[in-house]
This record gives sequence, C-alpha cells and structure tokens, in this order.
Amino acid sequence: MAGLELLSDQGYRLDGRKAPELRKVQARMGVFAQADGSAYIEQGNTKALAVVYGPHEMRGSRSRTLHDRAVINCQYSMATFSTAERKRRPHGDRKSTEMSLHLKQTFEAAVMTQLYPRSQIDIYVKVLQADGGNYSVCVNAATLAVIDAGIPMRDYVCACTVGFVDETPLADLCFAEESGGGSSLALALLPRGGQIALLQMDARLHQDHLETLMEAAMTACKGVSKVLDEVVRQHLQEVSVLTGE
Amino acid sequence: MATVQLSEAEKVYVLHGIRDDLRVDGRSCEDYRHMEIETDVVSNTDGSAKVTLGHTAVLVGVKAELGKPRPAAPEEGYLEFFVDCSANATPEFEGRGGEELGMELTNTLYRVFNNKRSVDLGSLCISPGEHCWLLYVDVLLLQCDGNLYDAISIAIKAALFNTKIPKVLISEGEEGGTEIELSDDPYDCVRLSVDNVPCIVTLCKVGHRHVVDATLQEKACTVASLIMAVTPAGTCTCTRKVGRGSLDPESIFEMTEAGKRVGKALHGPLMSLLLQEETLGKKRQKVGFLG
Amino acid sequence: MAVDMRLPTFRSDSRSNSLFDRKVNKDLVVPGDVITTDTGFMRGHGTYLDDDKLTASVAGEVERVDKLICVKPLKTRFNGEVGDVIVGRITEVQQKRWKVETNSRLDSVLLLSSVNLPGGELRRRSAEDELTMREYLQEGDLISAEVQSVYADGALLLHTRSLKYGKLGQGVLVQISPSLIKRQKTHFHNLPCGASIILGNNGFVWLYPTPGQQDEEAGGFYTSLEPVSLSDREVISRLRNCLLALSAHKVLLYDTSVLYCYEVSLSQQVKDILKPEVMEEIVMMTQQKLIEHEG
Repeated sequence: MAGLELLSDQGYRLDGRKAPELRKVQARMGVFAQADGSAYIEQGNTKALAVVYGPHEMRGSRSRTLHDRAVINCQYSMATFSTAERKRRPHGDRKSTEMSLHLKQTFEAAVMTQLYPRSQIDIYVKVLQADGGNYSVCVNAATLAVIDAGIPMRDYVCACTVGFVDETPLADLCFAEESGGGSSLALALLPRGGQIALLQMDARLHQDHLETLMEAAMTACKGVSKVLDEVVRQHLQEVSVLTGE
Repeated sequence: MATVQLSEAEKVYVLHGIRDDLRVDGRSCEDYRHMEIETDVVSNTDGSAKVTLGHTAVLVGVKAELGKPRPAAPEEGYLEFFVDCSANATPEFEGRGGEELGMELTNTLYRVFNNKRSVDLGSLCISPGEHCWLLYVDVLLLQCDGNLYDAISIAIKAALFNTKIPKVLISEGEEGGTEIELSDDPYDCVRLSVDNVPCIVTLCKVGHRHVVDATLQEKACTVASLIMAVTPAGTCTCTRKVGRGSLDPESIFEMTEAGKRVGKALHGPLMSLLLQEETLGKKRQKVGFLG
Repeated sequence: MAVDMRLPTFRSDSRSNSLFDRKVNKDLVVPGDVITTDTGFMRGHGTYLDDDKLTASVAGEVERVDKLICVKPLKTRFNGEVGDVIVGRITEVQQKRWKVETNSRLDSVLLLSSVNLPGGELRRRSAEDELTMREYLQEGDLISAEVQSVYADGALLLHTRSLKYGKLGQGVLVQISPSLIKRQKTHFHNLPCGASIILGNNGFVWLYPTPGQQDEEAGGFYTSLEPVSLSDREVISRLRNCLLALSAHKVLLYDTSVLYCYEVSLSQQVKDILKPEVMEEIVMMTQQKLIEHEG
C-alpha cells in the first residue's frame, strides 16, 4: 500500500485515532415535528438524517400488504453535495438501491412487525455529508428514528464499518481509509443478544483474519450501542420531565 | 406540493379570516412566520445554508467547479440548479414521486437566478471563452409546510453569500494555451457579491385578498398564486403565475405592488443577519440539526 | 408586514434549567432493557418475552398495575380503545362505509349504519342511502365520533350515534401527539373565553366558535357557512397557538391547562406566541399556575 499510511508505526491512524477507537458521535432525536419519528447523527464528518413514517395504512400498491405483519419500506439516498465530487442523482442508482435493500433487511430483523398487520412502516435515510461508513451511520440514525417513533424493536441495531490494515483491525473507517484499498466489513448487530442482522464485506481478506475482524467489528458495534443508549436515555429524561404532572 | 385536505367549512373559515386580515395563526396577510437561517452547515461544499420557515426546512449546498463557458456568453460563468424533494418531507416523494415538483422548482430557479442581472456571472469568468467557474447549487427539501419558493430563495442567497471560491492563477501553458492553478491556501478565496440576488415572494390569492407565506391549509384554499423575484432595490425581475385558477389583471397589478413591497423588506434583515453571523466568525457554535 | 429572522440556538440549555427540576422517579426503559425476570407478571403493550425475561420493546415509562406490566412510549400513533372520542378526516367513500384517517396505524371505519340520519329517523338503510352517502360525508370532511370496537388487526370501528358527534363545521384543526392528551370524562368543553374545544384522544384537537342555542337541535348535520365574528376568530387563533406552544414543550393537554395557557398569553399578541422565547415564557407560567392551583 503505497502513498498514505493508514496506520503509522506508533499505531496512529490518518486522523489521529488509535486502531479500535470510534469517531466522535453526536446525535439528536425528534428533529422534525411533522414525521412520526426522526433523528440526526454525526459520526466524525459523516452526517445522516433518518425519518420514519408509520405505521400507517398501506399506500400505493394494496397488493403488497401482508396479512400478518407490517411491510417495511426503506429508501437510502445521498444529498448531491454530500460527497467530495458532486453526485448527479441522489438515489435510483445501483448502490443506493442496494443500500435500501440492506436497510430493509436489517430492520426487518429488529422491528416487531407482527404487531402491525396490513400496515406499512417507511424509513427514509438521507446522507448529508459522506466521510466513510455511510451504511453504518445510516443504520444508527434509523435506529434512533424508529425508537423516536415509538415502534417496538427487539433491541437497538448498531452498525460499524471496520477495515484491516497491517494485521490490525481498524474500527469506524473514514473515507480515506475505505478507499485506501484494504478490505472493509460492515456489520449490523443487535448488541444485547449478540445477533448479527447484516454482514457485508468488500475486497479480499484471508480467511484466517476473518474471525479477528468480526470480533473487532462486534466490539466496535457494542461501543456504538453504548453511545446511542446514552442519547436515548437523555432524550427520555428531557421529555419525561416536561410531561410530569 | 405536499397537500392537506380541508373540508368545505374549514375552507370557508380560512377565507373569511383572510378577508378580515386575521389568519388562522394570528398573522396578518403580509406577515412571515418565524425564520431561522444558518450558513456553513455542510463541510464538503464551498458554501451552504439551512433555512427553517415555520416547519419548512431547506438545505442548500453550493459547489464550484471549473468548466468551459457557454458559447452564447463567453465572458461569464454560470449556475446549475438541482432541487431534490426528498422522501423525508412526505412519503409521497419516495422514489420518483418528488421529481415533478423538483423539476418545476428547478426550472423556476434557473429563470430567476441564472442571469447576469441577478448574480455577478462576470466575476465567475477566469479566461474568456476557455475557463470559468461553474456553480452547482443543490437544494434539498427536508420538510414541507408551504411556501417553498421563498424559503429556497432565501437559502440560495445565504449560501451564495457564504460561498468561498478558490483563487486561481492563470499562466501560459507549454503549447500556448492557458493553464489554471488553484491557490493552495484554503483561506485565499474570492467571495461572490450578492447585492443584486433577488428573493422570491409567493403571493397566494384567497378569495379577494392575497396572502404572503401561505401555510399548506391556506394553499388548499388558493385559487392561483403569483411568484415574483424581487431584488434589494425593489425591482421585480421575474414573475410567474401558478395554479389552476385564473387571475384578473387588476388583482395581478395589486399583487405585484404588494410583492415588490414585501420582497424589498426581506433583504434588509437577511443581509444584516448574514453579516452578524459572519462577524461571529470562528466563535460561532454551529447548530445545524443538533439544536 | 413583519419579518422575523434569526440565527438558530441550542434549545436544550433552557429545558434543563427549568424551574421544575423535580426528581424524576419514573422508571424509564429503552428497547432491549430487561424489566424483570419474575415470571409472575403479565406482559402488556411495549414488552416482549425473551427467554422468560420480560424485556421492553419501546423507549418510555414502565407502568405497573397489579400484575400487569406495560411500557408507555413517549410518542406513538394512536392506539384506540373502546369509548375513545376521536376527531377524524374522511379519506374514502366506499360501499356502505367511510374510511376515516385518525392518526392510527390503520384507517378507521365508519359504517353507514353507524351514523344518524338527518332528522333523527330510525330506519333501515336503503339502497338509496348508499348512493347518497356523499351528500352527507365527503372526502376531506371532518367528523367527531366514538370508537365502537377494535378489529383484530387493530383498525377501529367508529360510530356517531349521538347528537354530540357528527360532521364538524367551521373551525380550526390542530394536530398533536396522542400521548399528550389527558384522558378525561368528557372531551367536549365550552371554554369560558368564548370558544369550544374537542380534545380528540387521537391527537386531533378541534377548535370552533361556541354554537348558539338553535344549532344544537340539528344533530350535527347542518353546517353553517356564516362568517364567524372577529372576536371569536381571535380567541380561536390564540387557543390554536397556545395548543402548539404547549405541545412543543410536551405539556399534558386538558381543558384546565389549555385555559390557563390562554389566560397567561393574553399579555402577548396572538402571532407572537409562536416565537421561541415567548413560547417558553408562556409555558413556564402555565406550569407554575397549574402547580399552584392543583398542587
């Protein structure tokens, strides 16, 4: 790997973090008043907004209603100014459609859809600034939005993207590290049970390293879940104080 | 536009209220709702702004790129617009649902802003006929609560004010052509002059009177609307009538006069707010969506 | 004309400095939190069983009633129960019934046989009634109704079989979260300030000018399109802004709190109530007044 050194000899990454360190997370729930649930999250320089509508009556194709559970409908889209080079179309390209399907798969594993037969839950995620780990940040934002909407979930869904450089797993990749050429693994986890909702890996990786990488990914996700937990509890505290009678 | 349905009785109530100059939320016919403006919200852009008008939320990002001037105007740069009506605003905009509204908004923005009277396009030219700056202005609609044009135009003006275009050095190339070199210093940039940039005012005709900054409920009672672009000097640069109904010439004249008055009064507070924000400089705490 | 532009500020600072820093001894849980491992409890809404452990599935407050444990989320769509009063909007006219939007997870149903016929007749609905359904209730009309029963999939069955329910006339609809409406004996109030209010359990609040004596016999069928007087309009606009202010600060809504908020806001102009700093002031004073009078 010529050029930029993703991991220095002293163990520091490009942005000064250590290998297992996560980026700074700041989040807010209830950002939009008109939607049923909304959240905004910043992980380092990656910013994403998630909005949830529902559960509500099925719109459009009534034939897609499921008689025993709710349909989850996701859309992943990026703002045209989110990437360093301007993106021509916010969504509709192959990558966005793939990400939307992944999000749908992830949340179908966590949301208790059997409580809402014949209805539809819409989850829309928008990336405002893309600096690596887009999918993971979107999953985290969507989790907060679903909790904000009061839709029952088995557990939080936390995601993190990890990479592998010089025999060391790097947690929470930024854009430079993702495009640096090493392998990257995106993992969506339900922390309490340790259940994996989605696992995706790009680029080649020797199978001996897979276990270390997955361990590192799960640890990173658990770290993210702690931060999200704090955000939710603080939001609960703030809002319940006011409704007290 | 994301619409709400109103019953006949509700529409009558709104109509009579506007006739008596007392709207549903207590405003008079020419009052704006509470507005919040912030610039420099997105860092991957050369300029950005976020505007909240009532519940309507709009985010604008400006990116500057090098390009070739258009043959019709070799001494000017130009602007490219794109409006993204995101599904965040309403589930109707999912997939391709928001494209129609997006196209309509984009076309109007081209007519209003992309001419040398509104924006100083000459300053975007680097070398005539060969190189110029091309500004991509991307508008992201996050929440829809009526009056999109006004919010978008204020956000565009704020974003253009905030835009920092890198300075360029022109030098002679090897084979006689010009070579462009961008300055390495991130603080060495050129600011765009927004003195003539207009703001759009939407006037909706409800009954016999017109209202400014209509909410979705008032829009549902509107027969037709007039969209006007007004510069700080009070001149009207672009007018368009939208809506299914028809307007008679007298009301158009009346609405134009009102629009000019209202539009002119928008620029003062906007510029002073932008300058105030600029003077805060680095000490300013960026709020963005974390507020 | 007035233009109010300003820079955004962080809202959370003011909320934490609230005068009412009572100790929150509520049991707050997040999804995945284990509430209890004791198997003697029955599980209610917002919980699920995970290996004999009663776990929360929403973020909210735990409510224990005898042996029933449920978690009430902070914000949710309307979950109707029998007897709830709702305000809804007609979305569709189908064969022998109307579909009503009530901010719940499925559209509610209002059967033709569940509405009062004009003039108060009691007879079987004929085919002609079916064809003239649109003359009574069209798409976009607002109604007040009561929940008769709940279907298996969660859809609500409504009825307007009382003179106080029926089609709504002139007025203003305010949409807020259902969790902010307090359950009371009656949801129809004639406020002393000069307007009337219907606090629907589903979060839709209807404000309208207090009807005169003669309108009460019409049975909710005739809607007057006479212009409402300016003073009534001002009262309704003020009430609307007060409701929005209270809901933005998550205060529980019932007739007394709305009334106190109205009285406290009289010192301000109607359109100023929605400015953030004025909203906060008014809500604080309302909460103060509520504590004084109700302890």
